[in-house]
Amino acid sequence: MKTPQEPRAQEERREFREEAESLFRITFAPVIWAAHFLLCYCTLAVVCAKGGDPDFWRTALVGLTLVALLAITWTGWRAWRQWDAHNTGDYANARGEDEDRHQFLGQAALLLAIISAIGVIYTALPLVLVEGCR
Amino acid sequence: MRGFRHTVTLAGGLVGSGLMSGCTGQQSALIPRGEDAAVQSTLFFVMLVGAVVLWLMLNGLFFYLTRVRPGAVPQRLANGMIIIGGLVVPAVLIGALLAWGLSILPDQQRSGDGLTIRVTGEQWWWRVEYWPEGAEAPIVSANEIRMPVGERVEFALGAKRVIHSFWIPALGGKMDMFPGRDTRVSLKATEPGVYRGQCAEFCGASHAWMAFAAEAMPPADFAAWLDHEASAAVAPSTPDAVAGAEIFAREGCGACHTVRGTDHIGQVGPDLTHVGARHTLGAGRLGATLEDFAAWISHTDELKPEVEMPAYGHLPEEEHRLLAAYLKGLQ
Repeated sequence: MKTPQEPRAQEERREFREEAESLFRITFAPVIWAAHFLLCYCTLAVVCAKGGDPDFWRTALVGLTLVALLAITWTGWRAWRQWDAHNTGDYANARGEDEDRHQFLGQAALLLAIISAIGVIYTALPLVLVEGCR
Repeated sequence: MRGFRHTVTLAGGLVGSGLMSGCTGQQSALIPRGEDAAVQSTLFFVMLVGAVVLWLMLNGLFFYLTRVRPGAVPQRLANGMIIIGGLVVPAVLIGALLAWGLSILPDQQRSGDGLTIRVTGEQWWWRVEYWPEGAEAPIVSANEIRMPVGERVEFALGAKRVIHSFWIPALGGKMDMFPGRDTRVSLKATEPGVYRGQCAEFCGASHAWMAFAAEAMPPADFAAWLDHEASAAVAPSTPDAVAGAEIFAREGCGACHTVRGTDHIGQVGPDLTHVGARHTLGAGRLGATLEDFAAWISHTDELKPEVEMPAYGHLPEEEHRLLAAYLKGLQ
């Protein structure tokens, strides 16, 4: 005989299947930060060593920075929705159910998005403030 | 107890004054005598003040919450402290300091006002060539830098066998010297004086003894000095010096050292054409008195471990004295 809890448990499993399969979504923002960092440093290192117009590449990389920030903002917005603390009033997600795990991952992804955005901005500051290949 | 306290105070005072004395004198980045060093020292003091203020705020808050008003803090206040104090304030402060620091960062490779000095790091001394604007051949010297005050001088840096680093803390930042690769740095002294430079990259047994004097001179004095440095050696004429010159030739010193205007044209060691006029001996190892010359010639490897120049301790002391008279006479 089925307990009344069981259909709900199955439903939860179905709804939050994504976390059972993979956690990779919370790595989106740090991966964008890392890619932006590498692209900035490698591009300018090559341009400064092999010759090229540093000002053109600086402008291009500032453009890339804006794209990276937009992407991180989008990731952060999705994470904010997933956390859903605004509606549920539950900031800590302390119970160990699937829904709590789902929302906690949203919180973690949001914090990672914030730190990644700060990282991208700090990485880009020398692009704006330091001229040429110093 | 009182005795112990007294000892601690005394020891603290000694350590403190010892540390403080490191901040004075010829080799301090905190007492800048050049344009680039001034920027670095400003940067240092602003960061120091910022760090002290943050330290006081953090520990003050800690003290308040644990000692002055212990007990639970409302959840909202705790959240606010974490978000504002732990995230917003540090991010904004560090961001502002980063932006300000980047905006005042000196361009180490700014082009100079004409004079280029090529310095090559050897183990463990400095080969120095002065290239005034438009010069076709350098004026060769060693183990000492002289430069005009108020003019930006370019340094072209290289190394013979291992990596060294060129650093005159009172004038500006350091720059590494690599074998087979040129690096550049430019410096502008703002006040005349004799400063101390030091190799800042470990380069072997006598790395710590690889230093030099850097003298910033009024431009007219510098021009006169450079003219003199370009000239050949004037053979000193005192009887001691003449005898010393004979020993110098007999012992084959000229196989390694150049004394322009004589038959000695060795390129292995430092140029000695005007060695008597330098501030130091053995790349900052000793002063430049007659006694220092004699000590250097007789105890080279004790003064500078693993140095390539052999010690001439086997010569009689009288000959050390005569050699010193000759070398000191090379003004």
